[in-house]
Amino acid sequence: MIERTRTVNVVATGIMIAGILFILAPIVIAFLTATLSYEEFVSGGGIRLRVSDHFWENFAHVLFETRLPAQLWNSVVISLLVAFIKCAFAFTATFALVFYKSRLNTVIFAITIVTVMLPLELIVITTYQVVANVLMPINWLLGWTGLDALIERLTGSRPYLEYSLLDSYIGVAAPIATSSTSVFIYRQFFMSLPKDLPRAATMDGAGPIRFMIDILLPLSWTPLVATFMFWFIGGWTAYLWPLIAASTPDAQPAVVGLARLANTDPDRIPDVPMLMAGALFVSFIPVLLIGLMQRQIVRGLNLSEK
Amino acid sequence: MTGTRITIDNVTKRYDRVEVIPGLSAQFEAGEFTVILGPSGCGKSTLLNMLAGLEEVTSGRLLFGAREVQNVPAKDRGCAMVFQNYALYPHMSVADNIGYSLKLAKVRKAERVERIAAVARIAGLEGYLDRRPSQLSGGQRQRVAIARAIVREPGVLLFDEPLSNLDAKLRNDMRIELSNLHKRIGATSVFVTHDQVEAMTLADRILILNEGQIEQFATPGEIYHRPRTTFVAEFIGAPAMNLLKARGEGGNLCLASGTPMTTVAHEGEVLAGVRPERIELSDAGLKAQVLYREDLGSHHILLVQLDSGEQMRLSTSQGGANADSSEVFLHIPPDAVHLFDPETQQRIN
Ligand SMILES: Nc1ncnc2c1ncn2[C@@H]1O[C@H](COP(=O)(O)OP(=O)(O)OP(=O)(O)O)[C@@H](O)[C@H]1O
Ligand SMILES: [Mg+2]
Repeated sequence: MIERTRTVNVVATGIMIAGILFILAPIVIAFLTATLSYEEFVSGGGIRLRVSDHFWENFAHVLFETRLPAQLWNSVVISLLVAFIKCAFAFTATFALVFYKSRLNTVIFAITIVTVMLPLELIVITTYQVVANVLMPINWLLGWTGLDALIERLTGSRPYLEYSLLDSYIGVAAPIATSSTSVFIYRQFFMSLPKDLPRAATMDGAGPIRFMIDILLPLSWTPLVATFMFWFIGGWTAYLWPLIAASTPDAQPAVVGLARLANTDPDRIPDVPMLMAGALFVSFIPVLLIGLMQRQIVRGLNLSEK
Repeated sequence: MTGTRITIDNVTKRYDRVEVIPGLSAQFEAGEFTVILGPSGCGKSTLLNMLAGLEEVTSGRLLFGAREVQNVPAKDRGCAMVFQNYALYPHMSVADNIGYSLKLAKVRKAERVERIAAVARIAGLEGYLDRRPSQLSGGQRQRVAIARAIVREPGVLLFDEPLSNLDAKLRNDMRIELSNLHKRIGATSVFVTHDQVEAMTLADRILILNEGQIEQFATPGEIYHRPRTTFVAEFIGAPAMNLLKARGEGGNLCLASGTPMTTVAHEGEVLAGVRPERIELSDAGLKAQVLYREDLGSHHILLVQLDSGEQMRLSTSQGGANADSSEVFLHIPPDAVHLFDPETQQRIN
C-alpha cells in the first residue's frame, strides 16, 4: 500500500535528501581536505570546508611515495580470496543442505548459524594461535595419542610441527571468510526453484555434481554475483584481523596501510590532506564496483523476484 | 522402439512411520498405456516415483521386462518422466533441454543434433529450438518436456499430471496428441492424473488407487460399466453415481421406506447404485420433487428428492420431458442398477 499524497511525497523527499547529505558529507569533507596542502591544513587549524588546488600533489604523493599502490594489490587479492572462499563454501554447503535430506540437516544448519553468531573479533586470539601454526591440531593429536613420546624414544627428539600462515594472503583471508551468512540467501533462493528440477536432471542422467555445475550454478548466477560483491567489499574494509595477521607492510592490505600512514611520526601533526587523498585512492575500487554492479546487486538480493 | 513390460511385485512404501503403499502388485503390458487415477494423497506420485527410481522401494520387487530394477539407479532404468510443472532447465535453449540427456550419455554432437531435430518434428517444435523455455507458451513447454523425455527412446514413459497446468482447450488438444504419440513410439506409458476424462480417453487400462491400494485395474469401459467397489462407482462418472440403501424382496428392489424402485433378481440388503445418466423421466413411476436444476447448456442436472426422503441426481437432455415442472416421475431400467454388498462395499451383480 503506497500512498501518494503531496505531504507524504514532500516528507519522503526531505528525509531522502537528509539521508544523502548525511552519507555524502564525510566524502565531501574528505575530498575538500585532500585538496589542501599540509601548510594550509596546519595553519588553518584543522579540517575546514574550503577548496584549494593541491589535490594532484597529494595524490602523487600517495602514488609514488607510499606503499599504498602495492597494498592496494594486496587488498584486491585478499578480498577476492575472501569473497571466493565464502561463496564457494556457502554454495556447496547450501546445495547439500537443500537437496539432500538427512536427519542431521537441522544440526548442520544450526552449526552453520553459529558461525554467523561468532564474529572474528570475538575469537581473535584463538584464531591468531591457529593461523600462527596451522599444524597445531596435529601436534595436539600426537600428544593425545602418545605418538610423540614414542617418536621421541625412537629418534631422540620430540616432534613439533609448525607452519605459520601469518603475513600470507590466505592467512589474512581465510579467517575473515569463515562466516556463512550467504547460506541464508542461497537457501532461500534454492528453495524457490521448482522442486522437480533436480528430479528431471536425475532422470536425464545427471549426478549431484553434474546437477550443481550444469543447472544450479548458472541459475544462481545473480545471487552469486551479488553476494560475491558484498563479501569482496567486506574483505576490502576488514581492518582488525589484517592488522593482527599481517605484521609487515608488504603483506598488509591498503586499509591497514592507510591507518599506519597516520602515525608515522608521533611528534608531528599527521598529514591529513595526504591521508584523505589516500582514503579516496583506497576506496575507489569498491565504489567503482558498486557503481558498475548496482543493478546486479539489487537483483541478486531481492529474493521475491526470480 | 518397443515398450518394456513392468511388473510390480508386492511393493510397499513407507515414510518413517507412515505406510503410504501397503503392498501392491500389478503388471503393465509392453506398450500398454496405463492411467493411475485416484484422489489426492492416495500415493499415485509415490508409485510413479518408485517406478522412475526417484524414490526407494521399501520392500518388494520391480521388474522391467525380466530385469529387477528396484535397486538400479534412475538413469540406468531406461525410463523417462514428464513432470507437472514441466521442470525445464530455464537457462538452456529448447534444443539443449531436449539434448541434455544425450550429452550426458556422451552421444556425439552430430547424432545429437539429428535426434533433437527428429523429436522436435514429432513434438511440433521445429522453429522453436533456439528459444528459452520462458519464451514459450504452457503447451509448448509441455511439448518440450515430452520431447526431452522421448529423445532417449525410453522403454518406459512416466507422466505425473502433465496436463493439469494447461487450460481446458489446450488440455483436449494435448490429450489427442499424447494419444497419437503413444501409438507412434510404443513405449509402455504410465500416466498419473486425477482427471477422469483424461483417464477414460487415454488409457488402455485404468488403475484406480485408494489409500495405496488397488480398487480396480481394468479397461475404461469395464470400470464405467462394472465398477468393482462403491469407491470406484462413486469416483468415476460426473455427476457421481447415486448410491441408495435398498433391499431385494420378491423380485423387486425396494427402498428403505419399502417403495419399489425397479425389479431385481437379488434377495436381501444391498447398496443400489444408479448412474444419473441412466435415470429416465416418464409419465408414471417413482414420484420425486425437483430441489435444484443446473442448466449446463447441453443437458440439465436435476437434484430430486423422493417422497421417502432419499435424494438423487439425474441428468436429462435439454428440453426433455417436464423441463420446467417441479414434480417428476422417474423410471429406472433394471439393467441400470449396480448392486453392492453394504458390508464389504464389493459388487454383487
Ligand atoms: N517425503 C515424504 N515424507 C512423508 N510423507 C510423504 C512424503 N511424500 C509423500 N508423502 C505422503 O504420501 C502420501 C501419498 O503422496 P503422493 O504424493 O504419492 O500422493 P498423490 O496421490 O500423488 O497426490 P496428488 O494427487 O495430490 O499429487 C501422502 O499422504 C503424502 O502426505
Ligand atoms: Mg501427485
